[in-house]
Amino acid sequence: MQAVIELAGATWVAWWGAWELFRDPIVVGGVAGGVLGLLGVLVVLRRMVFAVAALAQAAGCGVACAFFLEIHTGLPSLLTAPRAWSLGLTLLATAALRWPGRRVLTRESVLALLYLLGAAGALLLGTRITQEAHDIEAILFGSAVVVSSLDVGLVLGGGGIILALMLAWQRGFWFASLDPDAARVRGVPVAALDLLFLLMLAVFVSITTRALGVLPVFAFSVLPAVAAIAVCRTPLSTALTATGLGVFAGVGGYFLAFLAAFPVGASQTLFAGALVFLAFLLRLLQGGRPITQRSGSI
Amino acid sequence: MKAASSPCLIGSNLVVGYRGRAILPPVNVAVGRAETWVVVGRNGAGKSTLLKTLLGLLPVISGRVQREASLQVAYVPQRLPLEATVPMRGRDVVAMGWDSHWSFMRPWRPSRVAEEVQAALKQVAADGFADERFGALSVGQQQRILLAQALMGHPDLIVLDEPTAAMDMVAERETLRLLDGLRSERGTAIMWVTHRLGEAMRDADRVCFVDAEEQVVAVAPPLEVVQHPVFVKHFGLHLWPSKGTAGANAGCD
Repeated sequence: MQAVIELAGATWVAWWGAWELFRDPIVVGGVAGGVLGLLGVLVVLRRMVFAVAALAQAAGCGVACAFFLEIHTGLPSLLTAPRAWSLGLTLLATAALRWPGRRVLTRESVLALLYLLGAAGALLLGTRITQEAHDIEAILFGSAVVVSSLDVGLVLGGGGIILALMLAWQRGFWFASLDPDAARVRGVPVAALDLLFLLMLAVFVSITTRALGVLPVFAFSVLPAVAAIAVCRTPLSTALTATGLGVFAGVGGYFLAFLAAFPVGASQTLFAGALVFLAFLLRLLQGGRPITQRSGSI
Repeated sequence: MKAASSPCLIGSNLVVGYRGRAILPPVNVAVGRAETWVVVGRNGAGKSTLLKTLLGLLPVISGRVQREASLQVAYVPQRLPLEATVPMRGRDVVAMGWDSHWSFMRPWRPSRVAEEVQAALKQVAADGFADERFGALSVGQQQRILLAQALMGHPDLIVLDEPTAAMDMVAERETLRLLDGLRSERGTAIMWVTHRLGEAMRDADRVCFVDAEEQVVAVAPPLEVVQHPVFVKHFGLHLWPSKGTAGANAGCD
């Protein structure tokens, strides 16, 4: 027991000793987790979970494209900026999701196409840019330990704006997402709210994929929301719980990675997954029977 | 309240359909304040398409839809397909109906909204299950919640797509009474699609009978519509009493 306490003490000392080094990635992980957790509630309820996976892959592919062009072409750095390429490809993927050709291709087909092309593109370009292979791996699996100050600024600034908009206009986003026909009839600008939601999602996925990697971004966009939906009963409590769990997963996952010397992205994903497990356990302990629709007319 | 003859929703030479393809002949509709309109027809006859086009949910193939600039409209769909896991109670679904246009930009609703929600729930006798998750309710209970949502904000026109399809006879009768009360007390115009031709059709001011297969649209008082050859062919000949007239056949269900 004494040994465990000493080890824990030593770990905390080491943690605080290296706080200056960890501070930025922890802040970015927490903010990204919180904002993606909040966006994730509507992502899950609108059944567009794999849209986020596709967008994150597109963002990752964009970064790989930028590295490739930087190394193999003489283009000026302005045209090979990874963030610009990441954002550009994410917005292109978003446009494809809203493309009217969905009448020809099903929604799932478009998602699969975007996901597979994004993943294959990033891997393929990765083999041609061995100098940046570590960065590519970091983007795909989220093994980045440090975050640039520009990424910190983008995540904090973008995240703050999105968090404020999502919470302030929450009723509009929920009405437009869950009962769009009734909302349209009442004059609620459903198309504008849909577009705004998708743009916020695309931009933030693009920013956070560059900073954290595809895997944790996908995880934060889904798992905290799934956990919150399992235990909450109202829209507001679900939104706030998902935000809180996202922050917890972002910070806790980093701490877990530090303790066990795991890759950061995988730790954050596992941590968020554990929260889902705990949420379902809590629901069972609350006496929550499986939620099913009642039969009969009344 | 405006005079009953003043139309608040007009469809002129309106052709409805999907992806540029018309499914019905042109129709003229002029819904007045405090009027009840019933849209009837067989399955796949184009009833919901007509309703959604009038509401602006589907594009017009040709013709025009005009509505009063200040007209407040509420819509009750056949179903709101929310899964049982969606974290929204019945009263949350009702409260959504308070918002219109850009009102969602105010982060907080006024405190009186909770009272309005409770009153709407009571009106449709849904207050007993309003704290259950909406998706876990039976279809009949969900229809009552959606009806309560439509009452929020005191709309001038309520458009309902088979609102009583899953209700039992008691709930259906209460719904009809409620809608008639709204019409007579508040001057609310009611337009609804129904398969039940009895009471609902008898009490209507106008009936819109549509049949995409036979390419028929008939807009007339109930007694005229029931004599339309295509109506007779598919539903049989029934005579309904006029409002307030005793006796005669009560219609078919």
